Amino acid sequence: MTTAAAALIAAAAVVAYSDLSSERLPAVIGSVGGAGGALMAFALATRWRSVFPFGLVLVGASYGGFLGVRNGAVDEWAPAVAAALFVAAELGFWSLERSPSRSEVVVLLRRIAGIAAGAIVTALVGSLVLVVATGASGGVGLEAAGVAAAVLAVAAIASLASRASV
Amino acid sequence: MTPKLGAYAGLAALALLAALATRRPELVVVAAPFALAAATGLLLARRPGLDAAVELSAERKLEGEEVDVRVALFAAVGAERVEVLLQLPRELVMQDGKNPVQVRLADGERREFTYRLRCERWGAYRVGRVYVRTHDWFGLFRRELVLDRRVPLKVYPSEENVRNVLRPLETQVFVGNHVARQKGEGIEFADLRPFVPGDRIRHVNWRASARRGELWINEHHAERNADVVILLDSFAEARRGDRSTLDPALRAAGTLAARYLREKDRVGFVTFGGILNWLLPTTGAVQLYRIVDAMLDTQIVLSYAWRDISTVPRRTLPPQALVLALTPLIDDRSEAALLDLRGRGFDLVVIEISPLSLLPEPSGEAGELADRLLRLHREAVRGRFERAGIPVAVWGDETSLAAALEEVSAYRRRARAASA
Repeated sequence: MTTAAAALIAAAAVVAYSDLSSERLPAVIGSVGGAGGALMAFALATRWRSVFPFGLVLVGASYGGFLGVRNGAVDEWAPAVAAALFVAAELGFWSLERSPSRSEVVVLLRRIAGIAAGAIVTALVGSLVLVVATGASGGVGLEAAGVAAAVLAVAAIASLASRASV
Repeated sequence: MTPKLGAYAGLAALALLAALATRRPELVVVAAPFALAAATGLLLARRPGLDAAVELSAERKLEGEEVDVRVALFAAVGAERVEVLLQLPRELVMQDGKNPVQVRLADGERREFTYRLRCERWGAYRVGRVYVRTHDWFGLFRRELVLDRRVPLKVYPSEENVRNVLRPLETQVFVGNHVARQKGEGIEFADLRPFVPGDRIRHVNWRASARRGELWINEHHAERNADVVILLDSFAEARRGDRSTLDPALRAAGTLAARYLREKDRVGFVTFGGILNWLLPTTGAVQLYRIVDAMLDTQIVLSYAWRDISTVPRRTLPPQALVLALTPLIDDRSEAALLDLRGRGFDLVVIEISPLSLLPEPSGEAGELADRLLRLHREAVRGRFERAGIPVAVWGDETSLAAALEEVSAYRRRARAASA
């Protein structure tokens, strides 16, 4: 219950930031984010695991929409948004675990510390990525590397899907 | 693999593709934690190596007692989160200990979990099937395994409080604690008779001899043992929830067997029903364990086969044995068998385990009529037994086993007085 509430708060923070910071189409961004949050809440309430990621996607989409309507400047809060999304995802999946087990305090603390560490690493890596991205001059090579990364990611999904179906 | 891994990989790919399409580096930042978590999880994934050992504080317990179960878990290859569930039968209720529990097990670590269980019902159980579920650090992989390390636990029925048991009408030739009708070596005074050569001086009754002017001898009753057969009717039982007529029957059987064996009697045990089981009468503490173990195997097996007393091996029912029949008087076959047993001259006592307290309250006119008919039918069965000279003691919620046995003793005393 606590983890579900915390996950929804983190997602709501992302939606609120995207909506309030948006100069154009805030209603659309807010609606998409709101729908994502509602979907996450529904998934958490009904313990419907497969629905939960779609809620996350919609919350991420609201941030994507905010970036889309934004002018050229890089959003310096992106690492914080990424960290919030990651925390929302981790806490959401934690609350979706159907485990009646009572955890030892050490296990709980390690898990909370792990999520906190993940959020900090996300913020740091995100900041690094932004620094690299804003410093890079662009070009065909970088674009090719980006396409290759995306193709690799899709290949990884296909590989995982095939492993899951075995 | 959990759905989380697929979700993270999908989210990362989607965000990366969106970043490429919109040329926004912020979306790469959003994709980064999910991609990193998925990649790290895949790289660090390993199969945990776990083993378990299960130990009980005692192999035998009485109903209502508590037993400690120690589960030791060894991790050759550990895991970040390990859920441990000890499977327990419904009759063993957890009193102390967390089950299931989630712990962390490092490589080479050994953890011990202690559970205190209360044995709610008699039976032969096997405790120690441990279900283990492991999770990696990111919760992307989950593995489940069953460690079957079951050890036997026997829960014996608790004993009823019985001070005096029924005295058998006939005793056997071996030494025991029952005062026999026959005269012989013993301490219970029986009669006086004139001295004959060969009599021991210590048996001379000096006072009687002085009064009569010749030697008179004290005679004593011999102290012998008896044969007792406990016959458990397992044709049918009345059951409501966790309560059944079989449970008090087994408690009574265990109590009586222990008491008679303590009196140096030979005790046999027959389960007469859908499945016929028997133990030949013999003495000693080992026999008590044999009887109790046989009792744990007792179950009500539905059978329509007509079974009479001739199916019981002859040696199981020695002549002049006291047969104590524990029956709920539900099945006609047991009634016929008991009447047959009496007809063959056995000293038979019926202890009726009343099923009436297990019946629901009669509702409506038809229900009340059915209830009255049932009670009348049971009265009629008891009447048939009494006409055949079989004492019937009703043991239910209102009476104790000791009171039921005392009722039989009184019946037998009255019957002896009447026949005299």
